[in-house]
Order: sequence, then structure tokens, then C-alpha cells
Amino acid sequence: MAPNWQEPRVLCPEHLRVQAYFDGEVDAVSAAEIERHLERCAECRELHAQLQRTRQALKSELSYFRVPEPLAARIDRALDHAVSAERSGRSAGTPAPPSGARGPRAARWWPPRALSRPFWTGALSGVGVSALAAAACLVLWLPTLRTDPRIEGLLGAHLRSLMPDHLIDVVSSDRHTVKPWYAGHADVSPAVADFDAQGYTLVGGRADYLDHQRSAVIVYRHGPHIINVFTWAADRQALPAESTRSGYRLLCWRTGDLQYCAVSDTGWDELRDLSALIQALK
Amino acid sequence: MPAPEVFIPTCAIECMDDKRRRFEAQVLPHLDAAHTFARWLAPAPADAEDVLQEAVLRAFRAFDSLRVSDAKAWLFAIVRNCHYTALKQRQRRAQVPLPEEHDIEDGPALIAGTPDPEQVTIRSDEARNLNELMRLLPAEFREVLVLRELEDLSYREIAEVTGAPIGTVMSRLARARRALREHYGAQLAGAPRAVP
Repeated sequence: MAPNWQEPRVLCPEHLRVQAYFDGEVDAVSAAEIERHLERCAECRELHAQLQRTRQALKSELSYFRVPEPLAARIDRALDHAVSAERSGRSAGTPAPPSGARGPRAARWWPPRALSRPFWTGALSGVGVSALAAAACLVLWLPTLRTDPRIEGLLGAHLRSLMPDHLIDVVSSDRHTVKPWYAGHADVSPAVADFDAQGYTLVGGRADYLDHQRSAVIVYRHGPHIINVFTWAADRQALPAESTRSGYRLLCWRTGDLQYCAVSDTGWDELRDLSALIQALK
Repeated sequence: MPAPEVFIPTCAIECMDDKRRRFEAQVLPHLDAAHTFARWLAPAPADAEDVLQEAVLRAFRAFDSLRVSDAKAWLFAIVRNCHYTALKQRQRRAQVPLPEEHDIEDGPALIAGTPDPEQVTIRSDEARNLNELMRLLPAEFREVLVLRELEDLSYREIAEVTGAPIGTVMSRLARARRALREHYGAQLAGAPRAVP
């Protein structure tokens, strides 16, 4: 028989449930059902035994690769680099130091050398270390300036969505495809429409965890920009209508009991346009 | 006391240090696991190391804006993305196709991306142990097997890492295990193993 990675023959229809049982992925009721099935079905009994043998062999033989010491040191240096880059005010959008960069950068440094950085020297010429420390204290002293964690969550979800293959779960410009998809994937059913004529093309949908629930994310494209519109069940206090984090803009509003928030690197006018279009939907 | 506006949006020194500490406490414990995953994705150790470093950096930059509930699966997802990005770049640069070229093709292209069956027979005869056989499996199979059996991820976590629905994870895992059994049956059934 020519070996093939595809299905060899018809399998017992219960084989996936037997596997789920083996992997500990079923509840007690299903487990009892599957155990009864195993008593009757020789094929599945054999499958279960084979799954056990396969696991044993894999666990005992497959290589596990601990991080070698030089790599751990390299990663530590790269993190030092990232810390100092963020500390000097460059935002998350800045390109990383190339992964090959293994310069003779010092290990962790403390006390701060921030004043040696050109940005600080430019911005603070004449102001001493004491002013820097005082300003740092001021930031810590002003809790009102702290951003709502939900804003951070939204920005994080937006940035993550821009990573390869993370943007869209259901690809469609048809709202009749996108809207029903949310039924099984999110806790809310958002207003969905394609505003292609107005310049906001519906490209698909996604589900994201936000504020302890599964929010529905509608993805629009406006020119070269991606706009994520998050929707979840509104709760407690409202989000600020407009906020800016790391160069991204977040426009939030409520419609009925749904909280909406559009996140993008486009301008405010575009976000307000899109928000108005969505709010005009029934 | 002068307090220039410029300080306010910038993370203060103490806060960066705190971020680094939280990152080291929550994410770095999974570094060995992530390295193992990277090594099983990328055949060349040097490539896996670059992938891991890039992934840790990306994770660090996204860290403070995220509520990371499952740091392991989250880090793995970033490792996987970095691997495929790096793979695409290598392939774009390379004139000579790499042996792992089929890795780049995703789900629907599974059949096309599978190594030639004839060749697999010959090569799997040569595979002296499970490690070598695993390297012969299509990337989609190898990945779910490593995540499930070596890294002990749940179906939900595997779905999160691979971006596939849970149903797809289940059927892919079943096919991967079957493929392994069929090509390694004698050893799995308890026959004497060839010494590597």
C-alpha cells in the first residue's frame, strides 16, 4: 500500500470523541458515554490503546530543547535594548533592533543613563537629573493619568490583529456571512454592514477576548489603514469617547447596551465617519 | 517644579522596570517550551534561535497592553508567526528551494504540500527513530503533535496558537497520530527498536 497522510479507510464515527476522551477534553457525561462505547467497539478500544502507546513513545523519545546559555544571554541583552528603547519614549511601532544585533551592549544598567540619550539631552538641556526624577515621581503620583485598562486591552488586541494571520477569522465582504458567524464565536451580535461606497470596505470579522468576554471585531479597510471595530456588552462606566495611545486612535461609543470602539492609525475624521455610519444602522 | 508635558505619555523608569519584572515572571518561564516548539518548527537550530529571540521581543513590546491570561499559548502563537514570517523571507531570498518549503503552505494546501508519498516510504524506512520520522511529517501534523504531546496544550490552546478552529485541530491531530502509527507501527507496537 502506498503510504499516504490522508484517510486510509472509513473509521468508526466515534473516533474523534474517543481521541477527545483520551486527551481529557470531555465532560463527565460524555466520558461515561464514550466508556460505554469503548466496551462495545473493538476498533475504538484498539484506537485508545494505540493512542496510549503513541503518547508514551513520543513522551519518552521526542527531543526537548532547553534554551542554551548563549541564547538566553542574547535574549536578555535584546530585552535590555527593548527596555531602553521604550524608556526613551519610542513607541511600540518602532522597528525592533535586528534580531542579529548582538552588539557589545552592557548587561542590565542601573542607575538610569537616560540623560546620555540624544532625545533627553535635546528635550531637557539645562534640566538636571533631579527634574527627571521629579517628573517620574509626578507620573506615579497622578493616578488620574493612568489609562483605563480596557483602553490598553483594545490597543493590544488591535496591535495583535496586525500581526501575520491574526487579523481575520471569517473573511468576507458580505454582511450576511460575517454577522451570523459571530453567533457561535462572540457574546454579542454587532451591527455589520459594508460601507465600500463610502470608502470603508468590510473585510471580515474576528472574535477577541476583551473585558472578560468574547467581543466581536469587525474589520474594515480604509485606504492602507485597517480599522478594527470592537463590540461587547457595555458595563459599568463608559470608556472615554476619544483617546490616543502610542499613535493609535480609539473612538468609543455606546449604542443601546453595546459598547463599540473603533481602533486605527487613521485620522479622527475617518473614525468619526465610520462611527456615524455604523450608528446609523438599525 | 517643572514637569514637561513630554513625560506624561512616556513610561517612567520605575514602570519599565516593573514591566520587565512582570514579563520575566509571567512569560520567561515558558522559554524552554517555546524554544522546543521553535526547534520543531524550524529544522535549523540557528533559525529557531533567531525566531525565539524575535518572538520574545515582540511579546515584550506587546506585553503591557495585553491582559495575558494564557502566557504560554500566547508566546507560542507569536513564535509560530515569527517562524512563518522568517520562513517566507528566507524563501524569497533563496534561489534554491529549501527542503522545508512545503511548510509554508497552509491547511487547504495540505495534500499539495505533502512530500511525495513514494519518497516518504523510502525515507521513513530510513528514519531510525521517532525524532527523524517527526521531521518527515507535514508541518501541520508535526506542529499539533508537538503542542499536544510534548507541550501538553489543550485543544483550545492549540487552536489559539495555530489559528485553526478546534474542530480542525481535532481532525488534524487524529490524522497526525494515524500517520505516525502507520509509519512507526512496529516500534509503537513494542517491537525491538533500532538503536539510533
